[in-house]
Order: sequence, then structure tokens, then C-alpha cells
Amino acid sequence: MPRKLTRSQLHEIYYHLHLNRRVDEQLTVLYRQGKIVGGVYSGLGQEAISVGTAHALEPQDVIGPMIRNVGALLVRGYRPRDLFMQYMGRKGGPTGGRDANTHFGDMARGLVAPISMLGELVPVLAGVALAARIRKEKRIALTYVGDGATSTGPFHEGLNLAAVLKLPLLIIVENNGWAYSTPVERQTANPDYAGRAKGYGLPGVCVDGNDVLAVYHATQGAADRARRGGGPTLIECKTMRMKGHAEHDDARYVSKEIVEKWRRKDPILRFDKYLRAKKLITAAEEAEVQARIEKEIREDTAFAESSPLPVPEEAGRAVWA
Amino acid sequence: MATQKRAKKSRLPAALDRDTLERMLYFLKLTREAEWRIEQSLYRQGKIVGGVYVGRGQEAIGVGTAIQLVDGDVVIPTHRDFSAFIIRGMTLPEVFSNWMGRVAGPTRGRDGGPHLGGLRRGIIAITSQLGAWCPVACGVGLAMKRRGTKNVTVTFFGEGTTSRGDVHEAMNFAAVMKLPVIFLCDNNAYAYSTPTDRQYAVKSLATRGAIYGMPGESVDGNDVLAVHAAVAKAVARARSGGGPSFLECRTFRMAGHSAHDAAEYVSENLKRQWAKKDPIVRFEKYLLAGKILTRRRIQEMETGIRKEIEHAVAEAESSPLPEAHESEEGIYCQSPCWWEQARESCPS
Repeated sequence: MPRKLTRSQLHEIYYHLHLNRRVDEQLTVLYRQGKIVGGVYSGLGQEAISVGTAHALEPQDVIGPMIRNVGALLVRGYRPRDLFMQYMGRKGGPTGGRDANTHFGDMARGLVAPISMLGELVPVLAGVALAARIRKEKRIALTYVGDGATSTGPFHEGLNLAAVLKLPLLIIVENNGWAYSTPVERQTANPDYAGRAKGYGLPGVCVDGNDVLAVYHATQGAADRARRGGGPTLIECKTMRMKGHAEHDDARYVSKEIVEKWRRKDPILRFDKYLRAKKLITAAEEAEVQARIEKEIREDTAFAESSPLPVPEEAGRAVWA
Repeated sequence: MATQKRAKKSRLPAALDRDTLERMLYFLKLTREAEWRIEQSLYRQGKIVGGVYVGRGQEAIGVGTAIQLVDGDVVIPTHRDFSAFIIRGMTLPEVFSNWMGRVAGPTRGRDGGPHLGGLRRGIIAITSQLGAWCPVACGVGLAMKRRGTKNVTVTFFGEGTTSRGDVHEAMNFAAVMKLPVIFLCDNNAYAYSTPTDRQYAVKSLATRGAIYGMPGESVDGNDVLAVHAAVAKAVARARSGGGPSFLECRTFRMAGHSAHDAAEYVSENLKRQWAKKDPIVRFEKYLLAGKILTRRRIQEMETGIRKEIEHAVAEAESSPLPEAHESEEGIYCQSPCWWEQARESCPS
């Protein structure tokens, strides 16, 4: 039975959705100003998935976010300035300027850093779930893969292992229609990703990835089940990548009609509308959150821009050999 | 009695004439006998180089499959699919020579056992990395498709291998590209010592076909006619451009993982159960009951097989061991190799 969200929990989700969007927009601005080191990978249009899943977990749970899951990082306590500094290669960023974009994690926050090899986090998070089981901790693990990453071997190996060992693992398939320029119909001959779970012997559910409450409740249900020892669940969130693969990609291979169709399903506008219609938020409350976010973005941008770059001598620090 | 019932139930496919059925029994028996010779005598006599891997109990899968392939088709048989090598034209002396490290073997003494291939016969050699040849099968299938040859590729693997990423990547790719590839899983109940309930969490691996959008079927792998029929369906689909299929053949490894493994982790009860389902005994009974072959004819066949094996072993044993200098032949990197160059340039 889904637990009802309190008004303040709903406001938290509202805040994180909007903060996620604004951080994303601000990163684009910084990128165009030439202030970013490397590429910028946007999660525009997919915010409900990162925010909804991260909110549904308990603080002790571990998340393995991917490049488009900035929302999960924000829910877990990272500030916009952390992301700005990271993307700008500053010393104060989570990797101290050693790596770019979202290749960072923090075990204190229950975040495993992603690497660029897609799908690799599935076996890693299966390992986290196995460790929790062995240590008898009520901890579950969650990670995300795109529709493209489902075609990788590690996704399969991790999923099968989790199913056999009944690990407390949640696999969120963010089906955003495109793996770089590869559409789903060239990615798989069976686009029913939730249905794939049957081939592994675990439940698979499909939810509207642009409906943050649907994502939240599906995640929470699967998390409860995993915590009770019921094993892993695959959740397919249907969504759309509203930008190119990265800022350098104008995604001209995606038809305008498709983008327009999905724009009308914008997860943030939908949630706003829902809260207003159900009178769960007042105009004054909205204005207050928006002002808070704008202040944060402004201050954190200034903070990041004035923060120092790393000195060359530091490049060799914190490496294994 | 039960066998007869089953035998009556399995209808004789129109394509299978008496001659083909006889050849099927011949290859079943030849495989059993040749592998027995390798595992139970040559290995124990110390004449084999390295380990010995046999497919005792699984013979019906290779036979039911390979018997219906035509020129231009390609198979990638594993170490448990001996019959597929022989049916595709690998000779017994070649196979024995390879196991014994002799120059007459296809690897000319460079590799042992079942790492055999030959493109002329449409056999691609496997490597020890299980499943790594499934993407290779896709490459072969893609080449066939591009050339419009109507040929098919059959790639064999065990149920343990289904847990490998390579198989997943290959099956997905084959389905997307509609390649003429048949993914044939010998589910022999054990991956070395890992039983199926520790290997996967589904009741039937056949469900794996559907997740990629291809037909998935599960058949009794100890019934050579059932295997033949299921493979025929998949082959027809592949030849007509319908794309890949997945076929699980349920069987049992009636030996250890290899000759050095006593398989004590397998219960005696399970071994007894499967001994009753021996694919060769079953097929023989079927042929006798249907008066397709006489007992006498079968005895002649067995005598012939024993002779054939005697000759082949003698021939293999008369083949010399390779000369030491030959070990450098047929390799990609000629001396001085990169590591030798590196060694030279490395200050000691």
C-alpha cells in the first residue's frame, strides 16, 4: 500500500525538481560561456525519475546515479555549487578538478560514482546489495541505466546475479527514446523493457517516467519488497531526452513532432499543475521556493566562478599508483 | 513401455527418411564411443595433452542439429558437441590427433582438445572464454545476410554461458539486425559444479528468447527427433529472413566437467534419473519399435564404429609430435615480438 506523501514531502519534491531543472539550465549557460571543462550532459525532461526515485529511498540506501541523474545528487545533499565547480574543473569540486561532469560519488552520502562505460554500475550496485545482505544491514541499492545500456553485457550479468541471489537491488531503466542517436527500435527488437525482467525471474514494472509520483510510488513499493528480502525489481520509466546527447549535439535526428509531443508531458509542469489543482501548494509558497532556488543558483555560480582551479602539483594526488 | 509411448508420439518428420535416421544413430553411437575412448582410455593412458571434456548424454543435440545443415552453413560447437564436428566433416584421426597433440591434428599440436575449427567445413573454433563466440556468430550471420546466401549459423553454448554478457549482447544484436543465427543452449544442468538454480532464477530459459524479441523454445535435448524438429523450425525461419531463434535443449552432463572431475556434487539419484533418459538408448528403442532398423543392422553398425575408432586411434598415434621449432609457425606475431623488443629496450 503506497504511503501517502505529506504536504512538506511534496514541497521537497517540488523544490528538487525545480532545482534540478535550474542547475541544468545554468550548466548550459556556463557551457556556452566557455566556462565548462568538457561536455555537459543534460537530464532535461527526465528530472522526475532522478528526484522521484531518490526521494523514495531511505538515507542508508545506496544510489549509483548516471550522467543524467543530477536530481539524485541534489536529493542526497550535493549543492549546485558542487556541480558547478565540478563541471568547471575547480579545486573545490568533488573530484578537485581531476575529472569532469558527474563522475563523482561519496559513500557518506550513499552515492557510488559512475564511470563512462554504460551498464557497468549494475554489477557494482549488485555488489553493494550483496554486501548489505552479508552484513545484515537493511540497506538497498538502486541504479539507473538508459535504454542503450540495456544492450551491454554488464547489465545482463548484474541483473542475472541479482535475480539468482535475490539481492535488494532496484534497476531503473530510463527509457528516454534515444541512446545518443540510436532510437529504441534500433536498440532492441523488443521495446518492452519492463517485460525483460521475466527472462531473469524478477518483477518488472513500467511507469510514466514523467510522473514523479508514479516513479516515487513504484520505487517505494520495490524498495519495501527488497527490504523484506523479496529480491530485485526492474522499473522501466518511459521518458524522453529533451536535449541532445550532450550540449554539443543538436539532435537533429529527432523529429520536431516527437519533441513537441513530449514537451506537453513535461514532468515539472505536470507536477506543478497537480499540486495547484489539489491545493497542495499556494502561490506564495511557490514564489518562496522559486526565490530560494534563484538565490542559490546565483550565489553558487558566483562562488564557483571565483573558486580556484587546482594547481598542477595536485594532479598526482589521490591516484593509486 | 514409456519409451515406446514417447516414440509413437514423436511423429516421423517427412524430411527424415530411413537413411537419415540410420545416419543419426550412427553419429550418436560414434560420438559416444569416440569420447569414451578419449576419456576412459587415452586420457588414463596418459596419451592426451591437457584436460578432457566430453558431452556424454548430450549427443542428441549436436546430431539433431548438424545433420540437417547444408554447405555454407556455419556451426560453432563447444567441447560438448563432438558430433557437430564429425558431421561437418572433421575426421576421427584429426580429432584424436588434436587431443594427443600430434601434427595431424588441425592445430598441429599447438592446442589441445576441442579448440577445433576449419572454415572450409563451416566450423568456427571456440576459445575457452565461454560465450565469446556468440558475437562472432553474429558477425558470421551478418556476412551471410549481406551476401544473401540463405545460410544459417548455429552457435552452441551451455546454460552457464547464458549468464555471460557476450551472449546477451549477441542475442540482442542478432534480433535487432534479424540475423540468421540460431542460439542453441545445451542445458546440461551443471556449469562445472553450479546447478541451474544457482545459475538463473527462471523456470525455463526459453523465456530468454522473448526478451530480445525472438522465438524461444525449450525441448527435450535427449530426444534427437525433438531437437531435429525444433532446429528445423529455427533454420527455416532463419533461411527465409525471419531472423534468429533461441532454443534450449534440456539434457544432462553424464560425466564430470572434465575427466579430472568426479562430479561428486551431483546426487546419485539425479544421475540415475537421467541414465534412464539416455538419448542413444531411447533412439535405438524407437528405431527398433518402428521396425526402421533391425537389431542385427545396429550390431553391424557398432562393430563398424569400433573398427573405425581403432583405425583412427592407430593413425593418430602414428602421427608424430610436432618439432619444437614448429611452435612458432602459424602465429600472428613473428619474432622478434613486441615483448622481446620491450625487453631489449628495458634497462635491467
